[in-house]
Amino acid sequence: MRPLYPLVCLLMAFSRPALAQVKNPDTMTELTIADADTLDAAWQYDTGSAEAILNIYEPLFWFKGSSLTKLVPLLASKVPSRANGLISRDGRVYTIPIRKAVHFQDGSLMTPEDVRYSLMRFMLQDRDGGPASLLLQPLVGYNSTRDASGKLKPNAYRDAARAVQVKGDAVVLRLPKPYAPLLSILAQWGLVVSRSWAAQHGDWDGSEATWQKFNNPEKQATAFYEQADGTGPFKLERWDRANHEIVLERFDDYWRGPAKLKRAIIKSVPEFGTRKLLLQAGDADVIYASELQYKEVAGLPGVRIIENQSSVEMNPVVYFTFKINPVGNPYIGSGRLDGDGIPPDFFSDKNVRLGFADSMDYAGFIRDVLRGHGTQATGCIPVTLPGHNPRQKTFHLDLAAAKEHFQKAWDGKVWKEGFRFTILYNQGNNEREVIAEILKRNVEGLNPKFHVDVRPVEWPQFLDGYNASKLPIFTMGWHADYPDPHDFAFPNMHSQGSYPLAQHYSNPKADRLIDEAIASTKAARRRKLYFELQRIEHEDCPHLLIVDAVHFRTQRDWVRGWTNMPIFPDDPYGSYFYQLWKAPAAKRERR
Amino acid sequence: MGRFILKRLALLPFVLFGVTALLFCVLQFLSPEMRAALYVKDPRQLSSLEAVIDKYGLRKPVYVQYGVWLKQLAHGQLGYSETAKMPVVDAIKEFFPATFELTCVSFLPILLLGVYFGTLSAVYKDKLLDQLTRFIAITGYSLPSFVLGLLLLMLFYGKFHWFPPGRYGLDTDLLVHGDSFRHVTGLLTLDTLLNGDWAAFLDVLKHLVLPAATLIYIELALLLRITRSSMLEELGKDYVRTAKAKGLPGSMVVRKHALRNAMIPVVTLSSLLFIMLLGGVVITETVFDFPGIGRWGVEAAQQLDIPGVLGSTLLAAGLFVLANLASDVLYAFVDPRIRLE
Amino acid sequence: MKKLLSNPSSLAGLALIVFFAAVAVAAPFLARPPKGARNPYLIPQDGYSSEPARPSAKHWFGTTESQYDLYYGMVWGTRTAFEVALFVVVTSLFIGILLGGAAGFYGGWIDEILMRGTDVVLAFPDLVLAVVIVSVTRPGLFNAMISVMLVSWPSYARLLRGDVLSIKERDFVAAARALGASDARILFRHIIPNCVYPLLVLASLSMGRIVITAAALSYLGLGAPVGYADWGQLISLSRNWIMGGSGNSFQYWHTLLIPGAAIFLFVLGWNLLGDAVRDVLDPRQRS
Repeated sequence: MRPLYPLVCLLMAFSRPALAQVKNPDTMTELTIADADTLDAAWQYDTGSAEAILNIYEPLFWFKGSSLTKLVPLLASKVPSRANGLISRDGRVYTIPIRKAVHFQDGSLMTPEDVRYSLMRFMLQDRDGGPASLLLQPLVGYNSTRDASGKLKPNAYRDAARAVQVKGDAVVLRLPKPYAPLLSILAQWGLVVSRSWAAQHGDWDGSEATWQKFNNPEKQATAFYEQADGTGPFKLERWDRANHEIVLERFDDYWRGPAKLKRAIIKSVPEFGTRKLLLQAGDADVIYASELQYKEVAGLPGVRIIENQSSVEMNPVVYFTFKINPVGNPYIGSGRLDGDGIPPDFFSDKNVRLGFADSMDYAGFIRDVLRGHGTQATGCIPVTLPGHNPRQKTFHLDLAAAKEHFQKAWDGKVWKEGFRFTILYNQGNNEREVIAEILKRNVEGLNPKFHVDVRPVEWPQFLDGYNASKLPIFTMGWHADYPDPHDFAFPNMHSQGSYPLAQHYSNPKADRLIDEAIASTKAARRRKLYFELQRIEHEDCPHLLIVDAVHFRTQRDWVRGWTNMPIFPDDPYGSYFYQLWKAPAAKRERR
Repeated sequence: MGRFILKRLALLPFVLFGVTALLFCVLQFLSPEMRAALYVKDPRQLSSLEAVIDKYGLRKPVYVQYGVWLKQLAHGQLGYSETAKMPVVDAIKEFFPATFELTCVSFLPILLLGVYFGTLSAVYKDKLLDQLTRFIAITGYSLPSFVLGLLLLMLFYGKFHWFPPGRYGLDTDLLVHGDSFRHVTGLLTLDTLLNGDWAAFLDVLKHLVLPAATLIYIELALLLRITRSSMLEELGKDYVRTAKAKGLPGSMVVRKHALRNAMIPVVTLSSLLFIMLLGGVVITETVFDFPGIGRWGVEAAQQLDIPGVLGSTLLAAGLFVLANLASDVLYAFVDPRIRLE
Repeated sequence: MKKLLSNPSSLAGLALIVFFAAVAVAAPFLARPPKGARNPYLIPQDGYSSEPARPSAKHWFGTTESQYDLYYGMVWGTRTAFEVALFVVVTSLFIGILLGGAAGFYGGWIDEILMRGTDVVLAFPDLVLAVVIVSVTRPGLFNAMISVMLVSWPSYARLLRGDVLSIKERDFVAAARALGASDARILFRHIIPNCVYPLLVLASLSMGRIVITAAALSYLGLGAPVGYADWGQLISLSRNWIMGGSGNSFQYWHTLLIPGAAIFLFVLGWNLLGDAVRDVLDPRQRS
């Protein structure tokens, strides 16, 4: 031992700086602002939960690299297509062969029965405000297992059982009619859980006799709420709700081989200052930093910013309400076109909408607020998805045109009398605030009788006004449920979509296009339909689209292996830990 | 005495009932949509807002909701707190020890420093020591805790990286939640010691320094002032003058006579202070991201997490009543002139 | 009055309050609202960038998050501070006198009901109750003031009740009663004037507390909206910047220290003054 001592010292002297560079080399700590809501794959509908869940559970398919259209099999052994005959010619039967010899984290073997159970459970749990409609709609043709009065539909179980069947080593899905985005929905939401584990832990056993008992449960009542048993690369070690953190531990028998990281921690830290400091100290490896905080993280030693990561979202969007609810409404002044308010149907006049559209400084917003990153949106379908039309005409800041529109609006009365109303944005959202301020400044500059008040509101108040259609103009956004143009076309343009419903906007032509596109499985045809839809969108101007945004990821330079998966929850801040590991940063990356 | 205590204890349920009734009265102002905001957070869920409102019975009249809640209470349940993401009972078990620990760490220095310097300040009235004490008291009393807290963070965390916010660092986190860690008291300073882990103990202590310092500086002020003024009052009384005139040494007069009488309001105040701290120090816990009752309560209040608010306020209100009782009893002990009835 | 002016600390308090009052009165001249501004309390913004700018010739105190001019915010925030403090103290004093006086004077079940009511309100952690009230009635400055008022009156009511109880037993009250004076006359002519001083002392002492509580609500994002000239609001804007920028931990010191110092000095002024008022008015303290 003794003679070796100097050698050891020497070695340590050399190796220590390199090793010391990486703190906690086999633990990855990510700090977010989203706090997980549940670990139940059928309940979750928030990014905080989804990130942890997608590290524990696995879907049948996943997207190849950064692609949003190419799928690779995960728990399925093949991706169905017409070419390989696994999708029937009429587009209504999908045969999905299931991978063999995959084990759950409790050691049991995953079978096609588990897949069937998981899809059924996803549909039949159907909690209010949950994601169940994403699979219910394509597989059984209706949105909810309950009718409008909240009563259970007695045939829901049988409909679901008819749609999802096991045939040998495959699961066969039978759709009432073709549904183009089905595979990408399954890739995001069809997460496989163990039926036997569920039954043992007091959740639904998969039988028809008991499903009603597990329909629309309380969040904490499901067995999957705070425990987990998936096939994924990480097991749940602990969900510490007091400290807002989820600790994941490597699953050593993972079928694709164990992850490089031993442990992954997702912790919610709402205060940016704290996140930044933990990152600086190397206690955190990845943190969420918004556009607002760019300057504070850029250039920190040992920190790497990965810029220009594309997203699947349309945010922010400024919506006009066509028929405002005037009852007890503080946002529309007098409620008449007398210079001290607006009538409830103020925005149903297209010229008013166009006047606002021409008053928005799109380029200035992208330049000043987003540091010039991102491109102006050309339609409700984001640039990352098929169906986006880069050549679609858009609005530009054109105050002369805006003036002209306002002069024509309501037969010249708007220009003569002026107006006053309130634009609301949710408190703390800087981008939405700035948009409201830009609109205010430019519109008020056109005519001294134009008055726009800008007010922040808290989420509860916002929701209150929104649901009652009391907000004259509101700014919201949409993040993809799954990467398909339908997921953007429907909520933004279809008269039954969430936003048009609140706006009281409907255009039968737009409805027809959307209905046709969802049932068509031919890519070229769909593209044409969506192009036409976005032409109508521009013409009708029911809302203002601002930007196809890009984001940046902030991580320590020793984090390796990250590639952008735009559809992954909270991307590019969220992490699929299986691809990551830690190693000293190469010299050139240091600044 | 016993009857008095029993009588006061009997009041407890009434106060608690009043507290919850008052809260539900305030709720009357809320629309069902506003309360549903707790469950509907994502624009993707907007279309099912009505269903969510129905599911949680938010459209029912408030008194019906109160009845439901009371019935739940009768079964020993306090409901589920969305902000804590756990049942209210668990949340209290989770957050209370943290607050208790912070309170203990801050309270002792407050008491000792407050009484010691308050007395000295009165004895050496208008001397340098008195001026200094009064300066500290008045500045502490005038400094909002969030200003002081942020300043301390700026200096000792932003600049020197000494005292981070939160309750513990990553290593301690893993240790405390590891299988081999024995949880005895729920107080991490004690538990880490009992487990023999010095590093973790120091880490926990490090996280307590700034919030405790903030509390000490700000709450010390009141005790200093009360001790000083109450002491001054006693020293000005005839019996002290007489004693002094009779030739008793000054320090003895102070210790034997004046101090004892002057302690009466101090005892009352400090027992109230202790409980007030226990009820949660909202701002300090928020500023330092310290997972205690106060932070939970205010977070619940902000997000309209009604079960959470009810739970945390019930706890604080219960403690408050007990504290008042305790201070009255102490009062009687210290001051024999007072008889409880 | 002479006593007030002879004591250096009360003089300092008076000077501070006079200074702030002068700033509040002269706000339109010290910080001219931008042309066409409809509400002078809204702080002008110089651009949209989030990063605070350091003090400069253009912005004497620099800008805080989202480029709100700090100098402007401080000047007009003085008015807000006075409005909040005076409104809350006057209204809660009023309620306190009414309820506390009635409870102490009439005793019996009126006393029982009123005092159990104050027990309930006092049993709340006051900030939590205030936060609940504001969250429910929707965040805003006025609602914040109302909520602070609703949590502050019980201490006045308690104090007054106690004093009324003790004074009620005194000889001169008994004498007045024997002479056949009416309840109202006894209460308002004989009792309340005799306990008004402790109340005033408490009021002047609680002025500072009230400013702090209201500022705390703003700090939690429940008071004045972002961009409104309010010190607590400005401090909450500094929260993201106390760690400084890369390389300089104190790069954004002004975002915290300037509004922090203003609140501190304002409250300090009231406290010094309150102390002095107590020394003057409270005969027990006279030595």
